[in-house]
Amino acid sequence: MNVSKFIVAAAAMSITATTFAAGSHGSGHGSTTIGEPGKAGDASRTIQVDMRDNYYEPEAIEVTRGETVRFVIENKGNLVHEFNIGTPDMHAAHQDEMKMMVNHGVIQGGKLNEDMMSMDMGNGHSMKHDDPNSVLLEPGQKKEIVWTFSTATNMEFACNIPGHYQSGMYGDVNFDSVADTQASAH
Amino acid sequence: MRKFLMAGALGLLLPAMASAGEYNITVDRVMIDTGDFVKEGIGYNGASPGPVLRFKEGEIATINVTNNLDEMTSIHWHGLILPYDQDGVPGISFPGIKPGETFTYEFPIVQSGTYWFHSHSGFQEPDGAFGSIVIEPEGREPFRYDREYVIQLTDKHSHSGDRIMRNLKMMPDYYNRQQQTVGEFFSDASANGLMSTIQDRMAWGDMRMMKADVEDLQGFTGMINGMGPEQNWTGLFEPGERIRLRFINSSAVTYFDVRIPGLDMTVVQSDGNNVQPVTVDEFRIGVAETYDVIVRPKDAQAYTIFAESMGRSGYARATLAPEEGMESTVPEMREPARLTMADMGSMPGMDHGSMDMSGSPEMSGMDHSTMQGMDHSGMAGMDQGSMATSQEVPSDPFYAKGSGLVPTAANGGKFLSYADLKAQNPLYEDREPTREIELRLTGNMERYSWSINGVKYEDADPIRLKYGERVRFKFVNTTMMTHPMHLHGMWSILDVGAGEWNPVKHTVSVQPGTTVYMETEVDAPGQWAFHCHLSYHAAAGMFRKVIVEGGPDSTQAKADVAIEEGGDA
Repeated sequence: MNVSKFIVAAAAMSITATTFAAGSHGSGHGSTTIGEPGKAGDASRTIQVDMRDNYYEPEAIEVTRGETVRFVIENKGNLVHEFNIGTPDMHAAHQDEMKMMVNHGVIQGGKLNEDMMSMDMGNGHSMKHDDPNSVLLEPGQKKEIVWTFSTATNMEFACNIPGHYQSGMYGDVNFDSVADTQASAH
Repeated sequence: MRKFLMAGALGLLLPAMASAGEYNITVDRVMIDTGDFVKEGIGYNGASPGPVLRFKEGEIATINVTNNLDEMTSIHWHGLILPYDQDGVPGISFPGIKPGETFTYEFPIVQSGTYWFHSHSGFQEPDGAFGSIVIEPEGREPFRYDREYVIQLTDKHSHSGDRIMRNLKMMPDYYNRQQQTVGEFFSDASANGLMSTIQDRMAWGDMRMMKADVEDLQGFTGMINGMGPEQNWTGLFEPGERIRLRFINSSAVTYFDVRIPGLDMTVVQSDGNNVQPVTVDEFRIGVAETYDVIVRPKDAQAYTIFAESMGRSGYARATLAPEEGMESTVPEMREPARLTMADMGSMPGMDHGSMDMSGSPEMSGMDHSTMQGMDHSGMAGMDQGSMATSQEVPSDPFYAKGSGLVPTAANGGKFLSYADLKAQNPLYEDREPTREIELRLTGNMERYSWSINGVKYEDADPIRLKYGERVRFKFVNTTMMTHPMHLHGMWSILDVGAGEWNPVKHTVSVQPGTTVYMETEVDAPGQWAFHCHLSYHAAAGMFRKVIVEGGPDSTQAKADVAIEEGGDA
């Protein structure tokens, strides 16, 4: 996924955010501490994250405040998985939405029903999963997220497909306090 | 608390023993204290339940079993895939273990997960001869937890198994209030007309039909890890931790509906095989089944593990708490389930045409199970309100349509259905079965005789299977009782309509008036037991010997294949 696509996705987010992102971005970035979509050019490094059934490799990452990281996420399992950066509360809210996607047949084991995701659910809402802090991947798919972390906060990357987070498909985002002091403010 | 401390002490010894995979087990007369009564029973290493045996996938298990009883004994490793002569069924796998003798079991551990073991001799198992097995996988678990507990349930009765069987044989309603037979029902129906008979029976239902048929046996104390409700087995946790609870139902005859008020339970494994995680408020555990769930108590408070019997005649209770001695409220038991006409859907001689017809295709529910499963889970989530109002009667494709037995969650949330179980990582390639074998689960309640296809074990020919075939078993439950069918030695792939994702089990519950399908890859030579796991039904004759003809050239080749398969799981 290229940068321009990300900007488009970020812009589109405001439409779906109310129904789907469920506060994963808050209103504007001022009130949130999870950071914001970054530019690939600013990325200091790439972190490869593999999705398995149902866990990540690795299960913890170290970041510094203000750092921009390019995540390359690949689904090496047999089931659909999500990679979503947020706080535990944001994940909890997002899990209700993901449950709806499963209940409506958008996610079926190892398949994503893309047509159904873009269907109008009424009120102009759809079940598109296009928030910039997350990707939803079928088995074999590979996508990127570029993310700029801001302040140190309790964050996890998580798969919010029903049951996956609850059974342990999450990883810790640890802010390296030593490096923190060296990091330039973004 | 004494037993709890002992279990803790055993736990400390385990790491040293685990690498060897070797255990010594004595079969002993023990005293069992339920809190309501004390009785003599049978246990292992001086206690009932016996120890938690821990193994690691890929190692060789060596278990020396010494019989300290004055009668024959045996141990069956429930759900383990092993050579048939290690399976521990007297008369099928081996002759049994004589008083004073030590028998050494030795077999490779080719799987992982939660299992249990029990005597397969007489009524030693209902008398307390059981324990649990925990097998750590070769690779990592596909889920995470900070601590784990075995939660082993049983229905402890003050009478011995032998005495219960004698009483049931003499008077099937001995442990129930007066029960009505189907025969009487139809003679009444012809005399008085069907509707008035139904109304009459429904009016009498509470006392005569329903309780008697939902459960064989009342008057027991539900126990968890050897402790009655008052003794309150307690598992400790730190708030925020994920806890894996390994539920095992070692009851003689009792199904339990399990919940932990205040906590969601994410089911991650059933019968030792990982399933795609599904979060529920409550689940029903059949006799001999296991379910592993992950819970995450976030608050520093006590939570009650509450398991009420399907017929609401008793309950087991335990506690999860940050500290010993803390406890939470114990819920009241709910009203017992009521059998309906649907639960008698395929009773022999039942000739009410349309009712029967509407029941049959629906009750397997295979074609629709995926959709129904989704609708069902929707009830817990978004569509709670509309579902509840538009449909008074709860539905589950594994219960007869209109069945009175369909369980519902106490908090109105999600109750696990078989239809929710999907294999996490299918053990076998999906393929067409090579043939179908129909097994009608039959019984004459008047004489407490239970059978398959109307024939008791002692009068029946063995079921002959060919090595390499894939057999589709069709269970047709013609009785008003639920039967947990257990095939030894080979997996039961339960047809929930999920194709390649169908879950793999060792025990399959067949509800009254339903037809359930399971498929078995016949990959284990030798002879095996296949029976209803309700102790008194198995003893009465709902039991078959299965003979697998043919096989690979050498047993070594078979072991290699089995280990490979296990490694994939």
